[in-house]
Amino acid sequence: MHLNPYHLQIASFALINIMLALGVYVTLSTGQLTLGSAGFMGIGAYTTAVLTVNCHVPVPVGIVAGGLLAGVAGVATGFPALRLRGVYLAVATLGLGEMLRVVFIRWEVLTGGAVGFTGIPQMGRETLDMLNTYGLNPQGIGLKDNEFTAFSVFLILLLIAILTVWAILRQSSSRVGRAFSAIECDESAAGAMGIDIHYYKVLAFGEGAFISGLAGALYAHTASYISPADFTYHRAVEVLAFAVLGGIETAWGAVIGAAVLTVLPETLRFISSYRYVVYGIILVAAMVYRPQGLIDRALLRRFTAK
Amino acid sequence: MELMKRFVLIVLLILSTCKGSPPVDENKPRQPAAQTIKIGVIAALTGSASAYGRSIVNGFELAAKEINSKGGITLELIIEDSAGRQEQALSAAQKLINSNMVAAILGPTLSTEMRVVGPLAVTNGVPILATSNTAAGITQIGRFVFRNSMPETIGTPLSIQMARDKYNIKKAAIIYGDDDVFTKSGFDTMKATAERLGITITTIEKFQKGQADYSAQLTKIKADAPDAILCSALFNEGAVILQQARKLGIDVPVIGGNGFNSPKIIELAGQAAEGLIVATPWFSGKPDKRVQDFVAAYKAAYGTEPDQFAAQAYDGLYLMDEAIRRSGTSEREKVRDALASIKDFDGVMGRFSFDADRDVVMAPLVIIVKDGRFQLFN
Amino acid sequence: MLAQQLINGITLGGIYAVVALGYTMVFGVLDIINMAHGEVVMFGAFAGMLLASGLGAPLWAVFAGAVIAAGALGYLLELLSLRPLRRRRVTAKLAPLISTIGVSILLENVALKLFGPGNHPFKTPLSDMKFSLAGVDIYLVQMVILGISLMLAAALYLWLYRTKEGLSLRAVAEDSEIASILGVNIDRAITITVVTASMAGGAAGVLIGMAYSNVSTQMGVSIGLKGLAIIIFGGMGSVGGAVAGGLILGLAETLIAAYWDSGYRDAAAFFIITLVLLVRPQGLFGRDAAAMRH
Repeated sequence: MHLNPYHLQIASFALINIMLALGVYVTLSTGQLTLGSAGFMGIGAYTTAVLTVNCHVPVPVGIVAGGLLAGVAGVATGFPALRLRGVYLAVATLGLGEMLRVVFIRWEVLTGGAVGFTGIPQMGRETLDMLNTYGLNPQGIGLKDNEFTAFSVFLILLLIAILTVWAILRQSSSRVGRAFSAIECDESAAGAMGIDIHYYKVLAFGEGAFISGLAGALYAHTASYISPADFTYHRAVEVLAFAVLGGIETAWGAVIGAAVLTVLPETLRFISSYRYVVYGIILVAAMVYRPQGLIDRALLRRFTAK
Repeated sequence: MELMKRFVLIVLLILSTCKGSPPVDENKPRQPAAQTIKIGVIAALTGSASAYGRSIVNGFELAAKEINSKGGITLELIIEDSAGRQEQALSAAQKLINSNMVAAILGPTLSTEMRVVGPLAVTNGVPILATSNTAAGITQIGRFVFRNSMPETIGTPLSIQMARDKYNIKKAAIIYGDDDVFTKSGFDTMKATAERLGITITTIEKFQKGQADYSAQLTKIKADAPDAILCSALFNEGAVILQQARKLGIDVPVIGGNGFNSPKIIELAGQAAEGLIVATPWFSGKPDKRVQDFVAAYKAAYGTEPDQFAAQAYDGLYLMDEAIRRSGTSEREKVRDALASIKDFDGVMGRFSFDADRDVVMAPLVIIVKDGRFQLFN
Repeated sequence: MLAQQLINGITLGGIYAVVALGYTMVFGVLDIINMAHGEVVMFGAFAGMLLASGLGAPLWAVFAGAVIAAGALGYLLELLSLRPLRRRRVTAKLAPLISTIGVSILLENVALKLFGPGNHPFKTPLSDMKFSLAGVDIYLVQMVILGISLMLAAALYLWLYRTKEGLSLRAVAEDSEIASILGVNIDRAITITVVTASMAGGAAGVLIGMAYSNVSTQMGVSIGLKGLAIIIFGGMGSVGGAVAGGLILGLAETLIAAYWDSGYRDAAAFFIITLVLLVRPQGLFGRDAAAMRH
């Protein structure tokens, strides 16, 4: 058996990006445009880093706590966000993200400031250590240590990403999902129908932040090092591009968009320093030819009809 | 139909990565392949750190050309861009280690990138030599991590001490970039040194990446009338700070961190750079034949004078070459051991050794900008 | 020190105001944020830099060159990344946002290839001329910047509110369908808007180069971010709001650095946004309707 850790690494980052894009998708599915995902991602990442390194909490607990704290922050943001629309909301959440980044830089005792947080347990190496303490060895299934660590990170991320997609798809076909899309279509009509607009919009904000926080926590345990520079406005814009390029009509859009845009710079490695020139061109071309995104409902129907 | 075509395209795109992109082999070996040894390079060639990445890659390529023309072994450089980002650096390292099967890695450009790439190199047993990381604790990542770039903790204290003795500095202001690991750790060293030497710190001012206007901070610094300014910045920001400081009429000596150490700063800041003091592992004015040959060859190839990033990279590849020749193999573990055993290596930066922690042992120089060029400070 | 800091703040604010004008015009007419505007400013700055440092051209020629280059770029931006989206009968509100992000990534990396990384010195004969007034040093450059930014804002205001051209632009901004029925050529109006906004961006680029004697390919990002913040709390689509917002932010950043902690300087813009939006969701000078638009 041969697995190339390079490909697994890219796949792992693609999965984390898929989670981030899904976080934006959920919030967008109520018509709320957010650029705060990098900030929520940072909350998740720093929470689990502090908990697992300083308080010796098990990694899975740290990850869940990171997601939950980001979710709480999302709900807290969701309330004032009710007053804002469209671009105003986008830039206000962008501002929130930038302020959070300043907090990460300045709260040095806890976050290490600009120097960053080092020595966060890496999921793959943790799994390997756990197996070793039970006397098990990845050579038993024909894998080298480095292949095993990369593979286990990939599997953990895959499992969580599948669960997230499943939960979101289930929700979209439920009462909550229908309320979300009613609000997205026409807020006042939805309100007239008796839908509690405030409740659902705040819920969507909280859910989106929770997923972003979870992705951030998973990122921390994949890279094993985080710094405030990981959670800049660039990241938020990039994640929004994932979701919109893929298409915001269904959750599958976020999945495909994030996967394509993560893999793209890697496939372009052969043109070296020109790759971001091409990346920019592809982004424009994709929007010109498919402004509704790569995946839309019509396309999904075609696939499911067969 | 159009939809399907586009889908096929995407699937093809995804599949093409699975096959792994072909290695970049610009300097294809003329000798039999058995003697060719692959060395991976991770450098920031795009994004905000690309000013440093470019110099670094120039240094590597120049050294590779010279080494390969000598014969014996051929070093094949496989250069990957990291865009200055951790995820990209990590992916690039995985590619070099697992797809290209390199014997060793040079880089990455930034200390932040090394934080994620270093542990990976250690688990995979690949020797990795940092030629531009200056933050504390880099080689402590593990037994495969080396560096030949001088950490801030060696150079800066010396330059501050020498400047204090010469100019009788009693109080100084500090200005630094607080959102960057390089400038932040430079600041930590400056502050500690000033306190140790009994220099009163009048004010500590901060700036953030991409800022173009420092007038608010500098006006505040000027009001306290310090004897000197300690500044931890990269040369791009540093040049602007110098210009704006001189324009405001601040004419006290400026002691710069390692980031100031580039001939570019004189080019950018012009007259304003006069009186700038920095510590350096590398001085292009050294009357040493090796140094002068390197400066001439570099100028001929790239049209500019080499900075410390280029010099460190150039020496870095020679160190790797030395290790490979000594071990007589491209086996990663043996290359590591040979690298660790290098003592008193004569490079363009002077006499160089690795300490027990695989970190730098070398004597820094202190230089000052005078008459539009760097000169020894004494 | 206060007087000196106020002058620093007003100079910075003048530059921010001109950058914000470009955003606010495009948003007013097209209802989209042009994420590539910061990079257009950067290209203008480089065009000016090449003329000023490379050829030693006089100031008027530097401005003319930068404005023409940025205007041409704006035309291409509209032609290649905005107009094709209007041709499609799909209502995808976010598509133009992403396509301008694509353009911004493209422009930043093309500039990196063309001009090289790092800072490039921007030399003008003006930069060292100064006079002292009651113990405060005032540079000629600072006066020129303030003068030019106020003039630009006034010219734009007059053009929008006192000419027929401006009327048709405002008609498109109000309701493009009705404007079209009334005989306004929508494509033409939009092209004029984007090109004019980009030309203002080119001028802003030169102002930045003059004020700080340096330009870099990375400058688009941070200046773009500030411009965005300003139009939000100034109010979208308002010329006066952009100018007032720019000056407020310039002063706020300078005073925060001077009297509090320079580490919070970059966050100042967003503290202000949050505060303003909590009280007035439509921004300081925005109309109520603007905030209620999706």
